[in-house]
Amino acid sequence: MSSENDNRASGESSEGSLGGSRPAFGGGRPGGGGGRGGRPGGGRGGKRYFFRRRKVCKPCADKIDHIDYKDIKLLSQFVPERGKLLPRRMFGTCAEHQRKLTVAIKRARHIALLPFQGD
Amino acid sequence: MSNRVYEILFIADPNLGEEAVDTLTEQVQGFVEKDGGKVERVEKWGKKRLAYEVHGHREGYYVLLVVESTGPLVKEVERKMKVTDGVIRYLTVRVDEELRKAERRKARRALADEKRKSRPGGAVPARSEEVRS
Repeated sequence: MSSENDNRASGESSEGSLGGSRPAFGGGRPGGGGGRGGRPGGGRGGKRYFFRRRKVCKPCADKIDHIDYKDIKLLSQFVPERGKLLPRRMFGTCAEHQRKLTVAIKRARHIALLPFQGD
Repeated sequence: MSNRVYEILFIADPNLGEEAVDTLTEQVQGFVEKDGGKVERVEKWGKKRLAYEVHGHREGYYVLLVVESTGPLVKEVERKMKVTDGVIRYLTVRVDEELRKAERRKARRALADEKRKSRPGGAVPARSEEVRS
């Protein structure tokens, strides 16, 4: 009973430390490194997180509380020359902020602050 | 009817000249105030380049009104703006809920920062003790 509990607790905390991946922290734990290593599942998924720099959601990182359609400086960072909306994999924005950006950009377009179609 | 906060942003014809734009702004304010709305703030952004051509205009005079009113009244104001000469484009957005959320987010962030400051460098201890025992 108690050992089961322990396992679960350590599993959880190793999950929690994934993003940070501090070596000293993981090493101190029994299941820390092992659980992580088994996860990618051999060649099946073929996901290579490790070679690509992880993108960070800009609005999250800059601690922007409210995405405003009037803030063209912010919005234009997410609109390429051509003026199209791009999928969030291009910018690494989180789902919530991508959604808000999309709405804001569309509003800005309507009021002619941003182009529908660039050159 | 519950009162809500809206932003009314419109583009005035730049050929009118400054004074005419001012009277136009007053006119729109009149639309709002006539039926019990309240104009909280007026921002004149001045003449700006439009991102694309609207009714043959490449420039426009942007005016922003922050307004407290009801839904039906905003609808009426929109209708009136549509038939007003000199307004070449408008946009009304309800902002009270978003602003409240942003406010809450800000407060929560401030609280979290406070907490982080008050316990210096101690993220690990409590949990790992538990696991070991």
